[in-house]
Amino acid sequence: MRGDMKESGIIRRVTLALAVAALVASPVAAKKKEKHAPPVLADPWPSTYRPLPRTDMLIVGATVLDGAGGRLEGDVLVRDGRIAAIGRDLDRTGAAVVDGRGKWLTPGIIDVHSHNGTFVVPLTSVDDHASDVTEISDPNVADTWIEHAINPQDVAFTRALSGGVTTLQVLPGSTPLIGGRSVVLKTVPATTMQGMKFPGAPQGLKMACGENPKGHFGEAGRAPNSRQGELALLRAAFSAAQDYTPHRGGKGKPPRRDLKLETLAAVLAGDIRVQMHCYRADDMAVMLGLAREFGFRIAAFHHAVEAYKIPALLREAGTCAAVWPDWWGFKMEAADGIRENAAFVDAAGACAMMHSDSPQIGQRLTIEAAKAAGAGRRAGLSLPPETIIGWVTRNPAKALGLETSIGTIAPGYNADLVLWSGDPFSIYSHADRVYVDGALVYDRADPAYRPRADFELGRPQVAPR
Amino acid sequence: MKPAFFLALALLAQPAQAETLAIVHAKAWTMTADAPVENATIVARDGRIVSVTAGGAVPAGARVIDAAGRPVTPGLVNAATQLGLVEVSGARETNDQSVASGALGAAFDVQYGLNPNSTLIAQARADGVTEAMVYPGSSAGAPFSGRGALIHLAEDGDILDRPQAALFAVVGGGSAGKVGGSRAAQWLLLRNALDEARAPQTIDPRERLLGRLDRAGLAPVLDRRIPLVIAAERESDIRQALDLARDYAIRIVILGGAEAWRVKAELAARRVPVILDPMLNLPLGFDQLGARLDNAALLGAAGVPIAFTVPGFGIHLSYNAGSALREGAGIAAANGLPYAAALRAITRGAAEVWGADDRQGSIAAGRTADLVIWDGDPLEPSSGPALVLIGGKPVGATRQTELRDRYRPGREHPLPPAYR
Repeated sequence: MRGDMKESGIIRRVTLALAVAALVASPVAAKKKEKHAPPVLADPWPSTYRPLPRTDMLIVGATVLDGAGGRLEGDVLVRDGRIAAIGRDLDRTGAAVVDGRGKWLTPGIIDVHSHNGTFVVPLTSVDDHASDVTEISDPNVADTWIEHAINPQDVAFTRALSGGVTTLQVLPGSTPLIGGRSVVLKTVPATTMQGMKFPGAPQGLKMACGENPKGHFGEAGRAPNSRQGELALLRAAFSAAQDYTPHRGGKGKPPRRDLKLETLAAVLAGDIRVQMHCYRADDMAVMLGLAREFGFRIAAFHHAVEAYKIPALLREAGTCAAVWPDWWGFKMEAADGIRENAAFVDAAGACAMMHSDSPQIGQRLTIEAAKAAGAGRRAGLSLPPETIIGWVTRNPAKALGLETSIGTIAPGYNADLVLWSGDPFSIYSHADRVYVDGALVYDRADPAYRPRADFELGRPQVAPR
Repeated sequence: MKPAFFLALALLAQPAQAETLAIVHAKAWTMTADAPVENATIVARDGRIVSVTAGGAVPAGARVIDAAGRPVTPGLVNAATQLGLVEVSGARETNDQSVASGALGAAFDVQYGLNPNSTLIAQARADGVTEAMVYPGSSAGAPFSGRGALIHLAEDGDILDRPQAALFAVVGGGSAGKVGGSRAAQWLLLRNALDEARAPQTIDPRERLLGRLDRAGLAPVLDRRIPLVIAAERESDIRQALDLARDYAIRIVILGGAEAWRVKAELAARRVPVILDPMLNLPLGFDQLGARLDNAALLGAAGVPIAFTVPGFGIHLSYNAGSALREGAGIAAANGLPYAAALRAITRGAAEVWGADDRQGSIAAGRTADLVIWDGDPLEPSSGPALVLIGGKPVGATRQTELRDRYRPGREHPLPPAYR
């Protein structure tokens, strides 16, 4: 198996080297290079997303969960792709009326932990030793950007959309300690990553602690092979980034560009948000110490199956817990998972949310919240729909640094909306219509608005639209 | 929920010998009809159901549980799990579900590896599972995985209900590597195995591919005492399985069956059960390109016997053998399968697939008093069991409930959690 991996790695390196050589030799590429802005400041892959065709609209009569804790029976006015007003007797001039009676309206669902576009289904042997989910050649691949690997034709994107997901963060996996930069995408279908890229969304940095990094590199006879080794490596990396930081934009000759340090320095500057994979409470407490030592904030612990053991620590650090309701036990550090996790974190005043990590769960995040809340209610907590909708809207928006534009239905927010056939926390409800920036992007009742990936065409066994 | 809960505590304090139990004011899904019996009185004696009647009288001396109008179902029957064989899937030595090397193929038999003290079994039981098929993972002796066992999730330590209840095999793109790289070879090997087991004397011993133990494992398939369960997803493989069953006059069950909806008429005509994943609408592999959420609805409407298994990327399969099973049934119901049929697929339907419906899967006289009182609609994932009874006795705590109680918010403790 190791031999296969090595061989396959060589083939990949050769292919990559060829591609780079071709690019450098191209006169077009050379010309472009002259015009470029300073490399550190520019986003070479800026969003080309444009909202789909839209009109102003008034959604009337729905039960509205606003994402920020409110529940109201009222109308929602959308103008120019944004929420204009909520209430009764709104000025509907020029607005198409959408009948929401008997339905529920929520903000678009946000998934902070997706591998869509890189864990592309169907999985094949092509990816056995060369998966785009993560670059695993080194425990520190801070120089990798997951956006360079996104395949927009992954059918999981359209499935997520049909489950009401309007924004998702694609993260690299948890094999490296520092897994690279994340990308925030809209689930609006496009032929390129840039066409889905959320304009202006901060990047994240995926980091991991515990079993996965030490297990993989330890087995390969490399460092780290222990938790303490993981910390040593992380401290060395952030120390180097501290030294790198002063040169950014300062006087004198800029340092030779180091793409790994560039990412870590951006974390220290607060421009890139840390998304940290951890399971155990003690692991999370140690990572909070690392963040204090180097002066950065961890936006969210992902998986965090033991968050319920340390809710006060999370609250004080301003760090969210992105959790499953019911994944537990499959590895040692997941042994203590309980279904009340999110509810107990929430009850302590810390920030809880659902996340998927799987293209299957990524279609049903409201049901994940329903399961977590059900367990919480049985433990005696009051968790009405208007509270738990925040676990899949407002809180994930906060973890992404997008809480002023998405995740809430309030004037000025992007009109990312889901009109559900009923209570979104019921298994029998469906996302009837999904809007992104005020544009209809999915309609369960209209085949013309049920997008399909290119992959699904021309295959007789694929269910008709 | 509260009355049932307090009565459960009272029950726990009672000695567990012969007794009569009456659950009153139940919305009883007996699974012998498509509608529940409202205001039902369910009477059980010595661990078996005696009667279920609308507004029925409570026998003298019976212990009474007031269901207060809540739904009561038979214990759930999970048609395919690896409960009792898996503890921490990431820790090799705690796994006994398959053999990665060695001589055993069809002869591999999970019954000897079952661990009644597994925390996963306690969790499944608390989540309402009372009966399950425990099947082997794919083995070195492909295409055969080995023999599965039916377990009854009693708390007395004896969970083995029926060993060697079915023989399992795997075919398809993901597993063909083990036989050289083609599913055609898998079908040839399956056919050869049945030939050898049927008439070993006609084949020169030097040319036999099967050992003595594997031949013996196939004998009950050939004489139709147990089914051959073929894990297959692709339409062509399901059709091959039907041909195999016809050619050898054996009973088969399809496990997986992502594209079974494309073969529904033939499956229905031959009464071949399909144990499917109701959550699957993504082609995780090329064999599942036809995956869709209304697979269960299409098969059910065509008259194919169905039951569910919920792999959930290997996590739900055994860790959430009860809760994910209900969620899967809910998804099937949300995508066109009638409600009663969805509930049936995780109770009586699954019991019928494995020939356990004489004791499991319905609330009727003579069946085991394995019952669940739910705090809401059992197909809603937000609901949960208010009380689980196995043989009329309430089931106990799990690691999860003990962790929950230790870390429950709102209470100040002078000592660390380890003292709680």
